[in-house]
Amino acid sequence: MKKRSLSLLALLFAALLALAACSGGGTDTKDTDKKDDDTSSKDKEETATLPLKIENEGEAIKGGTLQYGMVSDSPFQGVFSWELYDDAYDSTIMGFATNSLFDTGEDFLITDEGIGKLEVDADANKATITIREGVKWSDGEPLKIEDLIYAYQIIADKDYPGVRYDGDFRNIVGVEEYHDGKADTIAGLKKVDDTTLEISFKKLSPAIFSGGDGLWGYAAPKHQLESIPVADLLASDAVRKNPVTLGAFKFEKIVPGESVQFAKNEHYWRGEPKLDKIVLQTVPSSSAATAIKSGKFDIVDSFPATQYDNVKDLENIDVLGRPELAYSYLSFKLGKYDKENKVNVTDENAKMNDKALRQAMGYAIDVESVTKEFYQGLRTRGNSLIPPVFASFYDDSLEGITFDPEKAKTLLEEAGYKDVDGDGIREDKEGKPFVVNLAAMSGSDTDEAIVEYYRQNWKEVGIDVQLTTGRLIEFQSFYEKVKADDPEIDMFMAAWGTGTNPSPAGLYGKEAEFNFARIVSDELTNLLTDIDSKESMDATHRAKAFRAWQEYMAEQATTIPTYFRTEIVPVNKRVKNYNIDYIDGTQLHEIELVADAPVK
Amino acid sequence: MWKTVVRRILVMIPQLFVLSLIIFFLAQKMPGDPFSGLITPETDPSRIEELREQAGLNDPLPMQYVNWIKDVAQGDFGKSYTYKRSVSSLIGERAYNTFLLSLFSVILVYALAIPLGVIAGRYKDTFVDKTVVLYSFISYAIPTFVLSLIFLYVFGYQLSWFPTSGTVDVGIEEGTLSYYWNRIHHMLLPAITYAVLGTTGIIQYLRSEVIDAQTQDYVKTARSKGVPMRKVYTRHIFRNSLLPIAAFLGFTITGLLGGSIFIETIFGYPGMGQLFVNSVLTRDYSVITTLVMLFGFLTLLGSLLSDIIMSIVDPRIRID
Repeated sequence: MKKRSLSLLALLFAALLALAACSGGGTDTKDTDKKDDDTSSKDKEETATLPLKIENEGEAIKGGTLQYGMVSDSPFQGVFSWELYDDAYDSTIMGFATNSLFDTGEDFLITDEGIGKLEVDADANKATITIREGVKWSDGEPLKIEDLIYAYQIIADKDYPGVRYDGDFRNIVGVEEYHDGKADTIAGLKKVDDTTLEISFKKLSPAIFSGGDGLWGYAAPKHQLESIPVADLLASDAVRKNPVTLGAFKFEKIVPGESVQFAKNEHYWRGEPKLDKIVLQTVPSSSAATAIKSGKFDIVDSFPATQYDNVKDLENIDVLGRPELAYSYLSFKLGKYDKENKVNVTDENAKMNDKALRQAMGYAIDVESVTKEFYQGLRTRGNSLIPPVFASFYDDSLEGITFDPEKAKTLLEEAGYKDVDGDGIREDKEGKPFVVNLAAMSGSDTDEAIVEYYRQNWKEVGIDVQLTTGRLIEFQSFYEKVKADDPEIDMFMAAWGTGTNPSPAGLYGKEAEFNFARIVSDELTNLLTDIDSKESMDATHRAKAFRAWQEYMAEQATTIPTYFRTEIVPVNKRVKNYNIDYIDGTQLHEIELVADAPVK
Repeated sequence: MWKTVVRRILVMIPQLFVLSLIIFFLAQKMPGDPFSGLITPETDPSRIEELREQAGLNDPLPMQYVNWIKDVAQGDFGKSYTYKRSVSSLIGERAYNTFLLSLFSVILVYALAIPLGVIAGRYKDTFVDKTVVLYSFISYAIPTFVLSLIFLYVFGYQLSWFPTSGTVDVGIEEGTLSYYWNRIHHMLLPAITYAVLGTTGIIQYLRSEVIDAQTQDYVKTARSKGVPMRKVYTRHIFRNSLLPIAAFLGFTITGLLGGSIFIETIFGYPGMGQLFVNSVLTRDYSVITTLVMLFGFLTLLGSLLSDIIMSIVDPRIRID
């Protein structure tokens, strides 16, 4: 029974996509540069052809309920604790009632606009957080320094079940002693006065300004949580049903896995929200486009990019777009991860350990056509391993590896990959048959077509590329194989979400298990160290360090960026102002509506 | 007969034990584990390794099995890795949703299929019969997800007669009359979809049984004794024709907990079918194994129930 359900599921998804694609009124225009009259879209990243914000005319109504749709094909988990959750949907939901202490600005660096103000003394390895006076929890209790400390204590607790008690977190002085039960308090956290907390670190890097190095960006309501043992938190009502929060809205009612009703938080420190309520509901991806079209939702989150065609010309909505914190890539296996010593080891004799070969593989593929034909322009060719949202670190002058089959052929020819037997396929340097094995992930039915297109591209320059296992590989199996350095994989296509800390050390470092290419060199290590060094506390120095690293990676071509992605957000015309810019986007408490019900 | 029933129940124990062995080892054989999906640059691989160690996933497989079966014997099915709560409460919640929806669907199926099947059989080869047969062929041929999407689009979004997803609206006070009506309202459209698709087998069985019965001796006898045709149908033919359907009743009852992945996914209705497929995709071992054990148990129970029901409704059949 299990097998059948699974293959049926795959079939279902394929059919759903096909169906969704034809249910949108048969629009066949390929013009993705749609511009609305009432929007401005020129500012910011050039990758986004969609506007970042809308301003709809009309007088705002008093209060009102915003209908928020969240596209998901499975029920959300419902762990509403920043310390404990690990599902992105839970984080979206918590966003309305966030316990976040810091605001971020350019490059997602912490600013002084939030509840907490961060001051860093790099030489003393200390940071000081000062919180605003008069900030209250959603139940009216004042926010105290003890609430900040309690969040650290949850994560450092011996029974803490989550992922955040990690190497970074142990960078705070005294955390390990507390975890092991040798100390009753965390020595590195010192309450200076009622609004000031001093934190001591073992070492500091520029990552602290992105909320790294162990700095924890959220408060936990100690008055609600302290009576619950940390081991029981996950099952408690304080996490599942009635979390106490700091954000613009507060949890009012939850239907597990399906929907959440938020009411405005009258204690919100920035001022009373203009909306009365927000109702968030999950919507299956198969009907997301229909739902927004029929006026069921005002805003839809995680909208599937494959359904863009079905919503782009609708009268009652605007489609906003912003770059995602992610990049897709093509990477090559150059070695192995040594589990004993926890280091990556590059194999000098690896099949793909030839810079010219790797570059040629990159020059051979026509990424730009794929972005246009398959992704309706919602993806653009990536030129760097840093997404463009990190404006100060991203190097737009990098050319990257563009589509140039002639150059690919020349490179291969010069490197000694010649077609000896005249069948149109190149042999290796010794004249033996040469096959490159590509591992690629399965997902939508377009994935198959895209991979086939790339295989054709490679064949045109004379490289025989075969799929590892003969077909596309399911997500979990794919990473299992990639992680284990399966000898059947010579290269693989995948993607990374970067998070808000752009430091590449965790993905390309010598000791990083996620350095799937297994590339190690002294030069690379130095470049990475420089990015996170004390000198890089200076933003200009860090930007330079990032640039040097990007150039090195582009030259080595061990991981070739393929796409940057655009996230799309359909918004109903009833929403007065909405801006999804990462830096100066609309604050939740400012959202207003101009009609009693969404425009149909 | 009761001796047989007790014996059959006792035989289930070794059967379930073998099933538990198979499913436990097969589940572990799948590539990846519950933690391998947690890869982002912000998660620390060594912390994930710690969690794996704490969860006992690094122990030798036979040892893991023994630990698991010990807990299961005490009624503890462990904790879902994905949902981070006890498997029994998670499955309980979903089973409740699925049970309500399935029960509702099955009632609709019988309410629709029995009259149609009898009428089609009684008026064989007439226009009515042909319409019913055509309907049952079409409903047999349409894939579940196609009809679900069409119904959702037409009745949910275009006509707005029904809610489009979920089990209940969030704003309604629990326990009130409008709360229960709201739940039923949410179930109507998926249940109707299921019913429209689920009738084929019953219609066809009933129709051919009714047609066969018309030429049986007992019908001739009844007619020759002057029993009116209407009464022959309601008293004699109808009851006999229901036998093959009664044979499946046990499976139908236990199948109420199976759930349908298609309907649940399209109507955003959190139920067992979806839980099962998602737990496989996320390698949520504790949920996978518990669900398979549950489904296995229900199948065995269903076949036993069917046999018991048959022996009750058809005195010619005896279990001994």
